[in-house]
Amino acid sequence: MRRIIKNITLLLALTGMLSACEKYLDVVPDSIATIESAFTLRTSAERYLFSCFSYLPGNASFNDNPAFNSGDEVWYMDPIRDVDATYHNIARGLQNADNPLGNFWAGSTRGSALFQAIRKCNTFLENVDKVPDLNEYERERWKAEVIFLKAYYHFYLFRMYGPIPLTKENLPISASPEEVKVYREPVDSCINYIVSLLDQAASSDLMPDRISGTENAELGRITKCIVKAVKAKVLVTAASPLFNGNITYASLVDNKGRQLFPQTEDRAKWVRAAEACKDAIDFCTAKGYSLSTFAGNTGYTINDTIRQQLDIRTAVTNKFNNPEIIWANTDSRAGDIQRFSMANLAPFTSTSNAKSIIAPTIKMAELYYSKNGVPITEDTDWDFNDRFALRTATDADQFYVAKGQETVKLNFDREPRFYASLGFDRGIWFGNWINNYNVYAPTGLLYVKGRAGETAARQGISNYSITGYYPKKLVNIETTVAADGNITSNTVQYPWPELRLADLYLLYSEALNEAHGPGEDVYYWINQVRARAGLKSVEESWSLHSKDPVKYQNKLGMRAIIQQERSIELMFEGQRYWDLLRWKIAHVELNGPVRGWDITQKDAIPYYNPMLLFNQRFDLRNYLWPIQISELRVNKNLVQNTGW
Amino acid sequence: MGISILVLIAGVAAVHGQDQKTTGTGKKEVRGTVTDSTGVLFGVTVYVKNQTAIGTTTDANGKYILDIPAGNATLVFEMSGYTTLEVPVGDQSVIDVTLKVSHSKMDEVVVVAFGTQKKGSVIGSVTTVRPEDLKIPSSNLTQALAGRVAGIIAYQRSGEPGADNSEFFVRGATTFGYKRDPLILIDGMEYTTTELARLNVDDIASFSIMKDATANALYGSRGANGVILITTKEGKEGRARINVRFENSLSEPTKMVEIADPITYMKLENESVLTRNPLGILPYPQSKIDNTISKVNPDVFPTVDWQKEMLTRNTNNQRLNLNLGGGGGVATYYIAGSMNQDHGNLKVDHRNNFNTNISLRTYTIRSNVNLKVTKTTSAMVRLFGTFDSYTGPITSGAAMYMNIMRTSPVLFKPYYEPDSTHRFVNHILFGNAETGNYFNPYADMTRGYKQYSNSLMGSQIELNQDLSSIITPGLSLRGMMTTNRRANFTITRAYKPFYVTPASYDKFTNTYILRDLNAETGSDYIDFVPGDKSVLSTFRGELASNYNRSFGKHAVTGMALFIIQNDANGNETTLQRSLPKRNITLGGRGTYAYDSRYFTEINFAYNGSERFDKSHRFGFFPSIGVAWAASNEKFFEPLKDVFSKLRLRANIGLVGNDEIGSASDRFFYLSNVNMNDAGFKYSFGTDGGYSRNGISVSRYNNTAITWETARNSTFGLEASLFRKLDVTVEYFLEHRYNILMDRASIPLSMGLEGATPKANVGEARSRSIDINMNYNQKFGQSTGLQFIGNFTYAKNRFEAYEEPEYPYPWMYRKGQPVNQRWGYIAERLFVDDEEVRSSPSQVFGSTVTRGGDIKFRDVSGDGVINQNDMVPIGFPTAPEIVYGFGISGNYKSFEFGIFAQGSARSSFWINPQSTAPFISYRYGSDDPAPSDVQLKNQLLKAYADDHWSEENRNLYALWPRLSYTTNSNNNQSSTWFMRDGSFLRIKQVQAAYTIPPRLISRLRMSRLKIYFTGGNIFTFSKFDLWDVEMGGDGLRYPLQKTYTIGIDVSF
Repeated sequence: MRRIIKNITLLLALTGMLSACEKYLDVVPDSIATIESAFTLRTSAERYLFSCFSYLPGNASFNDNPAFNSGDEVWYMDPIRDVDATYHNIARGLQNADNPLGNFWAGSTRGSALFQAIRKCNTFLENVDKVPDLNEYERERWKAEVIFLKAYYHFYLFRMYGPIPLTKENLPISASPEEVKVYREPVDSCINYIVSLLDQAASSDLMPDRISGTENAELGRITKCIVKAVKAKVLVTAASPLFNGNITYASLVDNKGRQLFPQTEDRAKWVRAAEACKDAIDFCTAKGYSLSTFAGNTGYTINDTIRQQLDIRTAVTNKFNNPEIIWANTDSRAGDIQRFSMANLAPFTSTSNAKSIIAPTIKMAELYYSKNGVPITEDTDWDFNDRFALRTATDADQFYVAKGQETVKLNFDREPRFYASLGFDRGIWFGNWINNYNVYAPTGLLYVKGRAGETAARQGISNYSITGYYPKKLVNIETTVAADGNITSNTVQYPWPELRLADLYLLYSEALNEAHGPGEDVYYWINQVRARAGLKSVEESWSLHSKDPVKYQNKLGMRAIIQQERSIELMFEGQRYWDLLRWKIAHVELNGPVRGWDITQKDAIPYYNPMLLFNQRFDLRNYLWPIQISELRVNKNLVQNTGW
Repeated sequence: MGISILVLIAGVAAVHGQDQKTTGTGKKEVRGTVTDSTGVLFGVTVYVKNQTAIGTTTDANGKYILDIPAGNATLVFEMSGYTTLEVPVGDQSVIDVTLKVSHSKMDEVVVVAFGTQKKGSVIGSVTTVRPEDLKIPSSNLTQALAGRVAGIIAYQRSGEPGADNSEFFVRGATTFGYKRDPLILIDGMEYTTTELARLNVDDIASFSIMKDATANALYGSRGANGVILITTKEGKEGRARINVRFENSLSEPTKMVEIADPITYMKLENESVLTRNPLGILPYPQSKIDNTISKVNPDVFPTVDWQKEMLTRNTNNQRLNLNLGGGGGVATYYIAGSMNQDHGNLKVDHRNNFNTNISLRTYTIRSNVNLKVTKTTSAMVRLFGTFDSYTGPITSGAAMYMNIMRTSPVLFKPYYEPDSTHRFVNHILFGNAETGNYFNPYADMTRGYKQYSNSLMGSQIELNQDLSSIITPGLSLRGMMTTNRRANFTITRAYKPFYVTPASYDKFTNTYILRDLNAETGSDYIDFVPGDKSVLSTFRGELASNYNRSFGKHAVTGMALFIIQNDANGNETTLQRSLPKRNITLGGRGTYAYDSRYFTEINFAYNGSERFDKSHRFGFFPSIGVAWAASNEKFFEPLKDVFSKLRLRANIGLVGNDEIGSASDRFFYLSNVNMNDAGFKYSFGTDGGYSRNGISVSRYNNTAITWETARNSTFGLEASLFRKLDVTVEYFLEHRYNILMDRASIPLSMGLEGATPKANVGEARSRSIDINMNYNQKFGQSTGLQFIGNFTYAKNRFEAYEEPEYPYPWMYRKGQPVNQRWGYIAERLFVDDEEVRSSPSQVFGSTVTRGGDIKFRDVSGDGVINQNDMVPIGFPTAPEIVYGFGISGNYKSFEFGIFAQGSARSSFWINPQSTAPFISYRYGSDDPAPSDVQLKNQLLKAYADDHWSEENRNLYALWPRLSYTTNSNNNQSSTWFMRDGSFLRIKQVQAAYTIPPRLISRLRMSRLKIYFTGGNIFTFSKFDLWDVEMGGDGLRYPLQKTYTIGIDVSF
């Protein structure tokens, strides 16, 4: 008996000890943050909303914008300095499936993690109704914004990878290995889903049409104008040859036997795209959007030539009440990109001088029209074959090229956008430097001196343009850099234009031409853009100055005109690379020599010798990004893009 | 007072000992002193052979006096733990003997988990190391482990004072968690590797390594990785014994990396540009090269040997240990202190008034006091402290070596002498170039210094109560409480160097002026930057009851155990990490032995860890073992002359590990959410004026995660041959399961943030064999020879590894060693660009592959070189075989020893980026160079002498086609840069002379020994760019060769 009692006591003591032990190991306090905590207060829900936005690719950064360095617009010194080489390596043909460059699928190698972004959007939509202190107005507006983001992230992936898995709802973390093996959906399903989300967002009563009056705090928030413009872009992309009847991808079939790319071209897609463009243009112009012109500045003494230059230069870089920018990414503002684009106009001692690394290629310089508004290869008055000979600037050229100075003929008699967008050796650069705002200044306007030993030339292993051109277009006219130790640098940062009205106009022209062939409507919208650039209409320019005066009258000719117009108007804005892909002409355009002037030379004659910098190659497989190999191993239901 | 009297008595006794006396007839008085290698021995039994009635024991001074019958008597000297000695008396009247510590006695006591066992009854795998074998010419104890201890795989990667710990694993590491090193317990308390490194060998009483489940089951929470168990010395009753040891070491690098001369550097850098880009701009015009060769003006056209400018050839280190012990009936004490002073071999610029060389002083103090409270109660109080006080360069010594290798030898001098415009400045004019943003390693070394101070204070109280007379015979109760406080701070003081560059060089007058590059930003006054601070507190409580009794031939022991431990860190960065770590153990042990022939043992532990969800918080870890002492069987008697001992044992059991995943993964069952993450910020407004941070998840909650478990079993054989050769062989099997690893089935399209979800799904198996042998040969009284050898071979492989279905069998981790590396098979270099075009496509994302680059094998045969072609290459980076052997001997007062250590079956890979000439290489996030400076790699002489070039199209050159940028093709993990890591090193050579006691007794010394030790004297290896043990990144602080002279005195 005593033994039993003893044993029971022992047992009780042990049990007591165990429960005490349990307590001893409970070191975690209650109320530790969990994902649910994000939706208990308005302020934390707002932060969650901002997290959804935070995945928007930082396109103002040349290091992060996949369409900025991947094509043929700009080139860099070798070895590349101070610029991340990831996208430049795509331009150099080094894309690979092991560790893809610009991996937006995974969120690595300079890509934004867009599948994470979509998961965040879904989590937000699932939970935002639980937030107790969130009023109806904000909740519905936020929801519409997140629905738009979800559509946009799907679109961004679609543009890169083609058919993608659609994450309509989040899979639970505990999902079985089979459930998580999702499939890529065919092109049309992807587009229909993206468009349905955009329509859903645009139908929200609480999404504003346009941010007006509250730009200081709200610019960059999603509006109906943005949603409609993006929808136009989505549908034009879907109607384009890359996705519309592209037989190159006939073999892209998944393991259920589904053909992922539609194999017959459907003209109705262009009709649908044109309608969406029209709807977007009508809606935006009704809300006050128009093509931007120079608003004036009292400190400037200018003339008509310079005014026209400023009309063009401010369309992208003016951040205040810019009537043309429909969607600006206010979290990705053009800062460093301006310093990297600028030429050193005066001697400097400070280290915060212009870096001038971003170097437009000679090909881009050649792409701009002549002063007659037609390609220099077609202009009857412009001697294309003699373009590398030298010429001295006269009074007539003095606001474009420094008077009495010698430069290559290629830099003469070009359209205003050439001079507004490109800096070059001996080219006038109005603004951006001390006392450089007066066209009548007795010492004359400052101009770029780019030859060896001069102020803008290569000084060390970095901070120079390898081609001798500079993307002046990206530099706000009020941005200054340190000149002589007295002036501190001041970068006027502007939110990066994701979508502007001129883009929409050109999309509309394109869609109409593809849907119905050339006609008054087609000419009207492209001519609007040309007029702001100081050019005559397409009809007049081609009729009077082109070796092919009827080019605009047939669909193919008009297509070429629209494509060149787009490339010129939207140059350096991260559009051309996507356009080359969707037009399916990248294998033509991106297979050839990349050239720049011989910038190590002191004298004009050897300086203006076009040097081969690289022989670019673009394989057919490069039209779509590769899915990284390790993802394909984990998910056997994914099929790799053709050629990778 | 007491001590001096004792000393006096001893002196008198010693003087009297000189006389000879005979008392009466037939009897004879014999007297003498009994010592061991460290001093006199108290309590040694001395008796006449076969006449145990005639005997005595030695006093506190090791003296004895015995009257023995005349005639052919033989004296026997016996003491537990020592080899019994028999000495024929003959006509001697003074017999001084030295007893040797015994290594194979059956009744030797072995320290095991929470107690001791007789060696003859131990079933678990426990290796004991004699503390004197751990005495090495270094103040870092961890360096003594390689090759000394069977079952430990150890290697040392750096020789920098303060950062020269060896990495070591018990029987190879099978886990892939963050904690792979064994649990280190000193007097029952857990310590870090660095704290083990600081332990003074002279203070160690016992050093055991426990390797299997029976030995470790009770250490459930961490025992899976093995346990190192150390106890410190206690005082012995008797007069105070003082022991002093002083050492001075000269140390120098075992091998320095050789760098190409500056002219070759320039020529080859020019070649590197032209060979890749014929239009490239040459970094060095021919005029610069010519002017440099002609030495027309060494300031304007400098050639700098940065190694010479920044490093000294050798350095001196000192070590001083002092201890005293003694006591009376009520209390005994052991007090020890040590001071080590280690220096680095960096040069000091005496224009500064501070010292920038590495100087690490470590101090330890220890006081162990035993008190006999009552007849059955004893108490023990241990107090100890370890203090590191360091001054050195702002970054580290390794950084200096790394920086030397990343600075151009022809760009600027370390500093310039003032010219006329700088006559009055008193700061150093450091060299730089262009805009002053190059990295000047000399300026970085001399611009300031870092100080850090580490301290560890511990106190421990232990109470033992014998309950034999109160409850039942053989029962006792033991309680112990330990608390430690660790504190650390770092402070940096530095000025901002002024840089100048020679400018306006006039080649006709050969003059230049020094242009200031940063006159505005430099400073000539010292500024201060506070560094890391940390405060840690640990508490451990133990309560155990022991039962130990024999009934005739039956011997029974039992133990019940309860432990709690709490670790708190005062300087953590996140809430989750700031919460204390806690462990609880409830455990027990039972052993039963029959007739000293059959043994069995059962252990169990019930361990709890705060890291897991409630449902998985506790783990149960039992073990069982058996042993058979065959040599104690009757039938074995005839074999005893050959096999003096033969014992077999086997055991199996489970051990747990809760330190899995990474150190930041504190609570797997909780999600880790950052509610205010600037990485997920977005801004609205024209100027981004309305900005909010975002919310991010770095870990999703997972309640299923639990203990990693090892099931291991050991088969051991212990044998003694001819009473001279002791051999222990152990074969060890481990199956570790529930290893935490990333889920491989989650595609990126799932969109999960943060860390990949994990699960206890990994499994690994390891096998190892340890052999330990010991051979003793005596030649007469004063000459002996001892040979020791040990060998460890450990091999492991993944048994389960969650991985996707690969297209090719060679891609699977499963079945491969845990540390296996994958890479491409490098066939040779490409002959030319044409061959590149006609070979399988080899595109790695950032460089165009050309002739002279490495050609990889298309293993999969699909025409593309990609991940699918990576195969397991080489051996694991940690060696699979570690061995050591040595011979030592003594002749009269001379002792000598030589010890060699080696490792085999390991591979390493030369880092193709850190050694790539001319590029700017950074060592990842912890790079010591500031992020805004330009770096430029040096050119290794070996690469300069042997690389592919247009003129020398050697398809098997050491270095491929030169490149002025990081070459993504040649950087791939491949067999091209794979090297054999095996080596054999003469680790230690030792000679000692003990001054005969009669010469020193007048100095009140009982012993005086002078010794010389050489460490890392010579290495045999196939690799010769740097010390092979450093592995792939040999451009850091090299391992050290040392020459030590020491003196050891006892009073």
